[in-house]
Amino acid sequence: MKLSGTDVDFIIIGENVHTTRVLLKRGKRFLADGDREGVTYNTVDGEPKLLTIPEDAKRGQDYEEGRIKHVKIAVQGAMKGEGAGAEDGMAYIRQLVHNQELAGAAFLDVNVDEISIKLEDQKAAMAWLVKTVQSMTDLPVSVDSSNIEVIEVGLEACDKDRAAPMLNSASLERIDALDLAVRHNARVVVTAAGESGMPDSDGPRVENASRMVDLAMEKGIPAGDLYVDPLIFPISVDGAFGQHSLDAIRAIREKYGPEIHITGGMSNVSFGIPARKIINDVFLILAVEAGADSGIVDPVQSRPDEVFKVDRASASYQLAEDVLMGRDKHCKAYIKAWRKKMLEPLAPAA
Amino acid sequence: MAELSDIANETIREEIEEYVERPEEIERSVELFARARPLMQDIAAAIIEGDDDEVDELTRKALAEDIDALEVMDDGLIAGMGIVGIKFREAFIFVPEVLSCARAMKAGMAHIEPILSASGVEPIGTVIMGTVKGDLHDIGKNLCIMMLRGAGFVVVDLGVDTSEDEFIDAVEEHGAPILGMSALLTTTMPNMGKTIEAFIDADLREDVKILVGGAPVTQEFADDMGADGYGKDALACVALAKDMAAEARA
Repeated sequence: MKLSGTDVDFIIIGENVHTTRVLLKRGKRFLADGDREGVTYNTVDGEPKLLTIPEDAKRGQDYEEGRIKHVKIAVQGAMKGEGAGAEDGMAYIRQLVHNQELAGAAFLDVNVDEISIKLEDQKAAMAWLVKTVQSMTDLPVSVDSSNIEVIEVGLEACDKDRAAPMLNSASLERIDALDLAVRHNARVVVTAAGESGMPDSDGPRVENASRMVDLAMEKGIPAGDLYVDPLIFPISVDGAFGQHSLDAIRAIREKYGPEIHITGGMSNVSFGIPARKIINDVFLILAVEAGADSGIVDPVQSRPDEVFKVDRASASYQLAEDVLMGRDKHCKAYIKAWRKKMLEPLAPAA
Repeated sequence: MAELSDIANETIREEIEEYVERPEEIERSVELFARARPLMQDIAAAIIEGDDDEVDELTRKALAEDIDALEVMDDGLIAGMGIVGIKFREAFIFVPEVLSCARAMKAGMAHIEPILSASGVEPIGTVIMGTVKGDLHDIGKNLCIMMLRGAGFVVVDLGVDTSEDEFIDAVEEHGAPILGMSALLTTTMPNMGKTIEAFIDADLREDVKILVGGAPVTQEFADDMGADGYGKDALACVALAKDMAAEARA
């Protein structure tokens, strides 16, 4: 999608079909009335519905502490194939797919890591979910797992007649994944993770990512099929983390030119601080300006097409930028403004 | 029974009134601060405010006045972190603020630790920490380590991708009563269970309390694996470690 006010063709990898996704019970979408407890949603036809929480999910610790693994519930329900839970689950997945497509997603990332701790269950769920998502959209799938065997099963389930899928992800600790990408003619996310640890600044990020890019190209994967993820860490933990990623993006873009894609899990940056959306929006702008042309994001929430229209002179924008550039020590000014209810959602310039 | 008005420090009074909601925690906090000397309350207030310079200065002042190092640690530093923990749990404060408080705690502990070790008093305890085999994620584990150090623990950080043998060797070498393992992936989470089994095989399971944590980990999973505790975040990890250190000393 073209980002308004820029000449960037931004590639959204929609992250909403993840079994790790969480909604809070104290949030707006949770409903408990009488004997029904669930998550409200609208079907693709606009009909308001409730994804009912099954009894076994209520007994889990997550739920007791107020976190609802809604996508996991939907997938588990839908996989049963029959009964109310199955129908509900299917309708729920369908709207996740549909709404991301409407919001401009180019790939739909699919992750079932938290469906079960059993590898066999993960494989079965991945094969099922890839096929199910493909039955609901023409978009290609991005197959995402921390286990390469699960990725392989997902790629095998991909429809060979549509645009090539994405493999998410390969890195120095998992170089084999590149061969898998070659075999399946898949595009591939290569991350800046090291062989034995995470990079602690921009230098190692560029070094690790470069090794992956060079290896991938040696194996015949064209630059245009590579999506470099510099790794984005929470700014709440260290004020320099934002710049580590941004500097790495700049260096990788400079080194490899316009053809290669640069992406990343953009919302990681705002973990641990309030008013995350403002931080996420500003980081997306900074990342694109540094040279990113893709993001693994929730496109329904983050609306990349709208982001570039915002008024950068607003106090909220400036406060968020200070956080991300490491100028607001311990995010003090930002959190203070939030407490005083002075932070406002970013809005287009008047 | 002590009352809120028995607490001399205004910040502490306000903090308890504003942020502590559970009756048993209000009671415990009021008792603790009401019997603490005003200077200890001031140290706790500086911890809550995340003011490391102030904590540094007040801790030195307290020690210069011949107040016992253990008292400064318990009634000042740790008491302050207790309030911080409650505020974080209830989402009144956020990660960067908790980290400032932990840094302030560290500034105070820098004066306390040498005195305790010179007089042969053990620190609260030693904790071995590491991310399990096959897993390179360390942000959550590092947050736990910062908080544990802030709470006065000596922490041995084994880093990421830690094998069963590395965990066992470290526990033996340091005689550590507590081991904390982290995993961020469902793929690597089972390696926590394997490490626990390795401790059983090495006949060392009884010697160490094992804590686990990480995004995909749950209490149910921790119980299944035979861990002694599960912490859903860094402060839960500290609370568990404190309980276990107390148990180990008993």
